[in-house]
Amino acid sequence: MIPLRIMLFEGEGEFRNYINRIRDNPFTPRPDLDNPPYSQEFSPRVMVDELHTFQSKMEMAEYLDRTFTQSGVRREDVIGKDGLWTWLAYLWFDRLAPVNPKTGKRDVKGLERYIYNPGFRRYYRHYVRTPYEIYSLYKDNSSVRILLYSPVYKHNDFIEQVASRQFIISHPNLIEALFILYFDRASGRPKRGAQSRRRAGNIHRFVKVIQQFELTYDIYSLSAQEIIDLLPEEFAAWK
Amino acid sequence: MKRRFNYTGRQRIKRERISLSLIRENESITSFILNRLELDGLTLPEDARVYVEAYYRTELKRFDCGTVNDLKIPLTGDLRELAYLQNLKFRILVTDPANGKILAHADRFSPEAPAEKKSILPVEFKDLGNEVWRVDYEGEGGAPILCINSRIPNVQNIAKTDSQFFIHVYPAVLREILTHMVFVEGVDSVSDPEADWHADWLKFSRDLGVNPPDSLDTGNDNFNKYAAAEWINNVVEASCNQYTDRFQEYIHKLEEVQ
Repeated sequence: MIPLRIMLFEGEGEFRNYINRIRDNPFTPRPDLDNPPYSQEFSPRVMVDELHTFQSKMEMAEYLDRTFTQSGVRREDVIGKDGLWTWLAYLWFDRLAPVNPKTGKRDVKGLERYIYNPGFRRYYRHYVRTPYEIYSLYKDNSSVRILLYSPVYKHNDFIEQVASRQFIISHPNLIEALFILYFDRASGRPKRGAQSRRRAGNIHRFVKVIQQFELTYDIYSLSAQEIIDLLPEEFAAWK
Repeated sequence: MKRRFNYTGRQRIKRERISLSLIRENESITSFILNRLELDGLTLPEDARVYVEAYYRTELKRFDCGTVNDLKIPLTGDLRELAYLQNLKFRILVTDPANGKILAHADRFSPEAPAEKKSILPVEFKDLGNEVWRVDYEGEGGAPILCINSRIPNVQNIAKTDSQFFIHVYPAVLREILTHMVFVEGVDSVSDPEADWHADWLKFSRDLGVNPPDSLDTGNDNFNKYAAAEWINNVVEASCNQYTDRFQEYIHKLEEVQ
């Protein structure tokens, strides 16, 4: 266990260089950024497990929420601390960019997956912050599994389509409607074809239709089932 | 002029019919107060529900403002559980209780600044390494945010009061934003632009008495890059002229040093 830290400007630069180098050489040694001027300890002290492994985004988000809560840290105390999320991605980088056994190379995605970028086009892409942000909003709502079922090193279509859209992500009844329509409780994953653009009533179409409803209906006051009942015929197979 | 269709029949509540401001305690935002909401002249049933929503990114909090004929005004709302208080947006919805449809709305408006002026340039203080300032186009719809380096000691105070900072930084920021708006993004219409933040900055220009040229759309046949550049210069000049006291203060300081 080590104390939670906040990545600083110099640390972010070193982390960026490391990520860029490791794309070509998976054995590039990870720089030690757990000291000034690269990072500073978060206050109050929160201990995090650097060796923890997570089966899903849900597990990682639960772990962080539990850890913060036990230390008396609230959601609003951490959500705006950009460097904290970058440091956590640095801490768990092996889990977030694992070595592909077939190629021997790291599966490294865009920098914004690891280095938190608060811009409105990219803020939802971070691999640690976004799962925590969603989970901490909806932890009492089991429907959130539809967004957080996938491995920590991969965003699924649901999280990409939903987390980037303020209106949808901020309405718990829409998350519940997504869950009812598309989640297969038996497998713990979305139903087959839910993310396929070729299937009628897929997640992409759901987003489009809700964007139209947003102009007409007071979505906030509707239940998940009432929203589903409003959906056009193309969604019949999912209902 | 670009035309917008409103198939839903929703009525728009204009911003000037609303007075909503934030309440701070020890510099931190804690709540909002809606002091005025004028719905007269709109065709609305008396029992239609009225709601105020505060939102930003993943967060949304709704407040019940009563009905059209029984508005709970002034209405105060506690915002402390929200994480994004700096850039909060608000919307007002009037809904039909019979079918849940939206009858009227005001969306994406910002609270009034304490001086009753709307800020069109949010400021964030963050670590920028060795840069003093930078404009990020990462606000709603790509709107500009002025980022100032939090490493500079006492920078929040400097940014508000220091004449040297004022006259060196803000004209350059203004020029950068208008140049980006015209030459990087392109303004589809000077009278009714698609992007809200373009409309805000065009209004800023007109409020300074500087009208934009006929077109600021680089793809339009009427676009003249020299006229656009001249417009930007004129806006910056007019803005600087509003702050002659800052310039004089700066000059005095220099004279004192000599």
